[in-house]
Amino acid sequence: MSRNAAQWTQKPKLPSTHYVDTRIYTDEQIFREEQEKIFNQCWIIACHESEVPNPYDYRTFNHPGGEPIFIMRGDDMKVRAFYNICPHRGNILLYDPVGNAKRVTCIFHAWSFDCKGSCTDISRGTEGYQNRLSKDDVGLREVRAEIGFGGFVWVNIDDGACTLKEYIGDALGLLEPTMEQPMEVFHYHKAIVNTNYKLWHDTNSEFYHDYMHYFNRITGMMQPGYFDRKYVGYPNGHASVGSMSIKYDAYDGGEQRGLGWPGLAPGGWILVDVFPGMTYNLRTSVMRIDTSIPLGPNKVMIEFRGLGLKSDTPEQRAERIRDHNTIWGPFGRNLHEDLLGVHGQGLAMREMTDSKWVIHGREESSTIHDEIGMRHFYAEWGRRMGRKAYDPMAESRPAAAA
Amino acid sequence: MSTRQSVEELVYRSCMLLDDRNFKGYLELCEPGFRYTISAHSPEIRKDMIWLQHDKKGMETLFTNLPRHNSDHSPITRHATVYSVEMDEANGQAKVVSALQVFKTTLDGGVTELFAVGKLYDTVSLNGGGPKLAERTVKLDTRMLGIGYHVPF
Ligand code: FES
Ligand SMILES: [Fe+2]
Repeated sequence: MSRNAAQWTQKPKLPSTHYVDTRIYTDEQIFREEQEKIFNQCWIIACHESEVPNPYDYRTFNHPGGEPIFIMRGDDMKVRAFYNICPHRGNILLYDPVGNAKRVTCIFHAWSFDCKGSCTDISRGTEGYQNRLSKDDVGLREVRAEIGFGGFVWVNIDDGACTLKEYIGDALGLLEPTMEQPMEVFHYHKAIVNTNYKLWHDTNSEFYHDYMHYFNRITGMMQPGYFDRKYVGYPNGHASVGSMSIKYDAYDGGEQRGLGWPGLAPGGWILVDVFPGMTYNLRTSVMRIDTSIPLGPNKVMIEFRGLGLKSDTPEQRAERIRDHNTIWGPFGRNLHEDLLGVHGQGLAMREMTDSKWVIHGREESSTIHDEIGMRHFYAEWGRRMGRKAYDPMAESRPAAAA
Repeated sequence: MSTRQSVEELVYRSCMLLDDRNFKGYLELCEPGFRYTISAHSPEIRKDMIWLQHDKKGMETLFTNLPRHNSDHSPITRHATVYSVEMDEANGQAKVVSALQVFKTTLDGGVTELFAVGKLYDTVSLNGGGPKLAERTVKLDTRMLGIGYHVPF
């Protein structure tokens, strides 16, 4: 039976943990608060260490909290992160996404900085500032950076935040045996989609949408063992999904999967969602990492990386590239379907569409089609935001006392 | 028709057939040993990337599976301009470089936007019976493709 206007807005008949109000995906104020209370306080992947292999190599990063950042490897081989903002008149210091710079010299008035963020030269400094301002007063803003969990460079805007290790806890434990060898990024692309970043993370946190993927319907869902995989939630909003066997031959044109990945069972699949918008996805012979960078309530930039092993022979690398792009490349079968899905949510959920609720209500003993991964995320989201995902504007009245 | 003209026409017909989703017709323009690649260079990771690579059989499988997938149904239009044709008479081949622009037109309302630019690097075989595509590499300058696309360029 269809529903009228009043029925449409009625709360779902499920526990309040099992649905969310769609204004958490569309409200400008909530988005600003997320940047401040979530993105500027959590550890975020900025890049992979293989992207800055040599001293003075740098890589720029648009931090999801809004800050332009660059990562630089020092002459001491330590990787540091700084605001990509000139302390003089606010120009961007490094324009290119990557490069190598012994000195970072702002093009505007030629102030210079070294790989540790110290200002090394103020052009005609004494003439203009006499003793009123010195180089020590105008160093770069350093951002906490740590390398870990597969050689990724993580940054945290919050100087008072816990360590990366504490933040992740055991969440990446399933992947630990698979990340013992050094990895290398071989694929990188970005996509801007008019949708909320949480909807992308949600898609990465539920497998029920295998119905959308022709490939997964026939290679995964019909195979024995598929429904045995379990979700595990960890502190700080992270969640993992364990391994299963996938029968690749079931897909017409699927090849014998020979290469695999050290530590991953043949045909296995491990996925870990790291709060608030990063996903490790290990399948066949490839590690994929997604990083969401929200640009607005209904706009997200997603960075996609494909990684192989640093020790790969050219033949092994070629196989990983093939495995990656058939499914996950910009022309891949699954990525386009996933992005089409969240793009559609963006169309239906943008402000003023009268969308109301999103239901995360499936309970199947935490197995693959259970929606516990999303519920776990929104519990942490609510805690950090001081808002309830099902009632973000605190409109619901407490039930009248009997 | 001169060989150069027939080579140019092959490039243009390959675009028209794919625009029309006439996959069978497209494959008929290809040699049995045909290889298709979409590549791009990422300055971010300082690497050349391969985004799609298939032999003729792989292309056939891809085309067969396309209707089974959920896809963006907005049609795309390929505009090619043949820049150079280098004849290699000894090997019965021509190396062809063409500029490529791909436009996407929404189904609802028909808004057209530039989707991608790049170049086509074709090896065309000239061994009788008209020129055929032996190899095509699409080198994309555009790397931001939004939600992506299932049909090769
Ligand atoms: S803005 Fe950078 S030196 Fe002036
Ligand atoms: Fe998916």
